[in-house]
Parts: sequence; structure tokens; C-alpha cells
Amino acid sequence: MSLLVTALAFALPVIFVLVPLAIFLVYSFFSVDQGTIVYAPTLGNYARFFTDPIFLPVFWNTIVLCLSVAIICILLAYPTAYFLTTLKGRWRYALLMLLLVPLLMSYVIKIYAIRSILGLNGFLNKALVTLGILEQPSTLFVFNMNAILLTLTLLLIPFAILPIFLSLERIPQTLLRASDDLGASGLQTFLRITLPLSLPGVASAASFVFVLAIGDFLTPQMVGGISGFTFGRILYSQFGTAYNWPFGAALSVALAIVVILAILIGERFGRNRGTSA
Amino acid sequence: MGLKKAILKLAAIGLGIGLMTSAALAANLRVLAWDGYADPDWVKDFTAATGIGVDVVFIGSDDEIWAKIKGSEGQDFDVFAVNTAQLQRYIKADLVSPIDISKLPNQKEVLPRFRDLSQVSGDTKDGKVYGIPFCFDSIGLIYDTDKVKPAPTSMSVLWDPAYKGKILAYDNGEHNFSFTALTLGYKDPFNLSAEQMAAVKAKLVDLKRNVLSFYTTADEAQQIYQNNDVALIWANYGQQQVKALQKIGAHVAYINPSEGALAWLDNWVISKGVRDNAAAEKWIDFMLTKKVSGQLSERTGFGNTVVESSSAGSNDKLVWLNNVEDPTKRSDLWNEIKATP
Repeated sequence: MSLLVTALAFALPVIFVLVPLAIFLVYSFFSVDQGTIVYAPTLGNYARFFTDPIFLPVFWNTIVLCLSVAIICILLAYPTAYFLTTLKGRWRYALLMLLLVPLLMSYVIKIYAIRSILGLNGFLNKALVTLGILEQPSTLFVFNMNAILLTLTLLLIPFAILPIFLSLERIPQTLLRASDDLGASGLQTFLRITLPLSLPGVASAASFVFVLAIGDFLTPQMVGGISGFTFGRILYSQFGTAYNWPFGAALSVALAIVVILAILIGERFGRNRGTSA
Repeated sequence: MGLKKAILKLAAIGLGIGLMTSAALAANLRVLAWDGYADPDWVKDFTAATGIGVDVVFIGSDDEIWAKIKGSEGQDFDVFAVNTAQLQRYIKADLVSPIDISKLPNQKEVLPRFRDLSQVSGDTKDGKVYGIPFCFDSIGLIYDTDKVKPAPTSMSVLWDPAYKGKILAYDNGEHNFSFTALTLGYKDPFNLSAEQMAAVKAKLVDLKRNVLSFYTTADEAQQIYQNNDVALIWANYGQQQVKALQKIGAHVAYINPSEGALAWLDNWVISKGVRDNAAAEKWIDFMLTKKVSGQLSERTGFGNTVVESSSAGSNDKLVWLNNVEDPTKRSDLWNEIKATP
């Protein structure tokens, strides 16, 4: 019986994760002719990715965009998480739950709602005009890269708050008190004790957000408009309208490499600091 | 590819069950159609008039029709509905039977432009008729009557800098190349030469710089319209989309551009595996009666081939969608256009 469980434990990830990934990898070496897939191995897809002038720039811009999303998420999530840890008792968890509530909502509905808010007649523009910050509604917030940045940040911020909160909460109170006893100021304690000990949480939060952002094609598709063209959108089109699965698979492999790197970096930072503490 | 085999096996079992159920209703005519093409009251009337029972299966996409018909090599259905752009593919794959027009008395009564089927692109091959057109709609232009004055007559208004950032276009390379080719005055928008392709591409980069966004669903376009300053919408969903916008109180109107509007045209076709050809012909003839065709337009907002309807009249120049020279190429170019800064 336990043998069966062990076998299943190995078999399930192999069948549902490794095999599909392997199929993807294999497909990336095929090609398409007249709408049918040619099952003869070729490096053509990869050659095209590196030589065609459109793919690398979009790929690079997308990575920069997602890094920015990760950085902004961290900058907003860190103070939030820090504030949470200063709360006492049940308030702390009640507020944390509230911050995580958006995760229960459908992803698509959230994008729709955010797009309405960002629109020319949307809430954001109306508020800014009413407050006198803008003279007239601006198109700066929707159907461009800014919109993708804003929307992804809003959607992914809960994924940044949680790991940072957990790492902050795990810091033993005794260390902070010891620092205080030895005459360190609040700022000194934060910079020399709290911040270094919470960096593993920051690292995993950053890699979470980055990976989720770079794999997203729906948000750019829906709020990106004409100038917000991302790698995910190119990838998506290869499987839909272009009907070029092999090329799409090759692009996915490129994306997967970046994602795996991001996870490895996040993991490495997370563990190093974590165990030395 | 053991997985592929397993899937095929499952499909075969499914097919087997399907065959068993269809064998139980052996006498009935098997119809495959989009929702709205075979309403229950028409089916009832048809059975009352001819004594032929009907089983209708509804589909939701062109790909689904292909999968159902190709999957059974045409054996599972007698009659089905397919658009002219798709039909040639079925003819090539030998999945449809030629239709004897003389068995369809009502075809002689249809609107003049649908009478000579050799003039309807995509319906015939080698002098034989394969599809009987019955329902269509154009892909025109929706404009906000408060913002766009005077009323536009051509798609070229989409390039007008006066409407910069107030235009919604559709996110599909194939259609965008076709309509832009028409706007540029090319004869055959579905078969572009390399030179024409380059000209269209340049023109589309200009279009991109003039639009607010590219949408995919009718619902999405409507939502963007509500929250932004939109003056013009390239209406992939035609009349349906206009009706939905008017329902929410938008002041919009619809035109078919003078250079020609892309349009889809759905046909009844008889499958290769038809069991009773006479019954299939009776069905098609019944659908071409004034009553059924008129009701079809009333209920869906689409045009029909028998009585004139509000959608796309005989004065409008409609260009029936056709297979394009190279869909993959168009899609790649479309990506390049979108990636152009």
C-alpha cells in the first residue's frame, strides 16, 4: 500500500508536469507548413527567435516590465507587511485576511474592473479631475505600458505581502529587545536586524510576483492597447490565430528558462539568509 | 505517442456511443447548425409538412464543425451549415456532396444577387454547386452619431487623425489585412502579392497609431466604449454589436463602407454521408421559404437571402470572406505590426 502511495507520489508529477514539459520541448524542434505540423527536427524556431528583429526587443521589454512590477510590489508590500506585524492579536490576522480577499475573486473580473477604473471616464480620472490634480481626463492610465504595470501591481500585490509578512513575523522578538537594550535606535534595529532577517521573504515575494507577471498574457491583452505589446501576447497568438504551435513552443521554452532562473535566484537568496539566521 | 493512441481510443468509444444513438433514430434527418438556424418551431413545421423527423445538434465555432464532420468523414450528419470561406476546405477533403438546384424550387425565388450561385464566391467548384446561401452579415463600421459628423462612408475614416485615440479596432491579422486591402482599392483582398502585403502592413502600422485599442469580444468592445471616449468601432460582430450598444443607450449607427464591406455568408450543405438526399433537399428548400428566412432575420438581426432585411441591403457592396493566401504569414505580420513602436 505504502509502495503504491510512493509510486503515485512520483508518477503524478512526472505525468502532469514533466511529460507535458518534455512534449513542449520536443514540439519546439518541429515546424509548420501550410497549416500542418511537420514532424522533422529543426532548429529553425530558435534561429528565428534570435534573428528576427521583433522578438528579442519585446522579450527584453517584457522582462524589464515584470521586474518593475516586482520592485513596485515589494516597495508597497513591505511597509504594509511591517505595519501588520506591529498590530496586536486578532487585528493582525483579520487585516491580513482582508488584504488577501481579492485573491478569491475571478482574475478576469478584476481586470475588467481595473480597466473601468483606469478608463478616460473612469474613477481614477474623475477623482483626479475633481481634486484639481488634472485639468482634464488623461489617457495616460489605460491602453499602454503604464496600464499593464498598474494592473499587474494591483493584481499581484497580495503575493508579495504574504511571504514578507511571514518572514517578518518569524523574527524572534528577543533579538529586537536585545538590540534595544544595547542602545540601538529604532532605525538602527530595523536596518541591522529586521531588514536583513526579512530579506528571504522579500526574495521569494519578488520571484513570485515576477514569475506570475511574466506568464500573464491576459492582462496585457486587455489593458495594454496598442503600445503595451508583451511577450505573452506574441506567445498567445502563436497558439491561436497563427496556428504555429512549434514556434509557440520554442518561445515558451525561452520564457520557461527565464522563469526557472527567477525561481532559482529567489530560492537561493531565500535559503542562504534563512538558514544562517 | 502512447497518449495520442489513448485519446484516439477514447474518441473511438465516444464515436461508437454516438453511432448507437444515431442508429436508434435512423429515420430522422441529422442537422448540424449554429444556434438560431434551426429553431424548434421551424423544425416542428418542417416535420408536420414533410413527415420527416429532425435531430438538431448545435455548434459554437468553425473548428467544432470541422471536427464533427471530419471526425466522422461526414457520416454523422446529413445537412450542416458552414460559411463560404470554410466550404472550399470541405469540398477539397471530399466531405460534402454536390447539390441539384432543380430539387430546390425556392432557390429560384431568392434575392437576385443569390440566384446565380456561380457568382457567389466559394459556393461552387468545377461547375457543381456545393452550398446554398441562406444567412449573412457584414463586418461594417459603427460610429458615434454625436462625435462623428458627417456620417462616414469609408473605412478610411479610421486613419483620420481627428479621431486619434478614439477608435476601437479588432485584434485579428487576417481580417485587418483584408479590409485594409479593400480600403487601398485592391481587387482581391484575400490573395495579396508580396508588394501589396507590404503596403497593407505599412498602412496597418499607421492604423495602430490612430486606435485606442484592439478588442476581441463584442462584450469587451462595449465595456471599453462605456468607459472611454470612443467614436468609431470596427464592427467584427456587425448588427449584433450595434443592437447591444443601442440597448445600453449609445448613440451609434452602422455603415457598410463604400469600398466594400467584408461579410460572412452561411450556407446549407449536404454531407458526403447523407442517408436520404431527398430529405436533405427538402430541409434546405424549407429553410428558403419566405416565412422561415424572414423570421431568421427578425430573430437574429442577420440578413437572409430570400427577403430584403435592414442589414446590408442590395445597394451595399459586400465582399464574401474567403480563404486567405497564407494565414500564418498574416498572423506573423500582425505581430510585427503590434510590436512596431
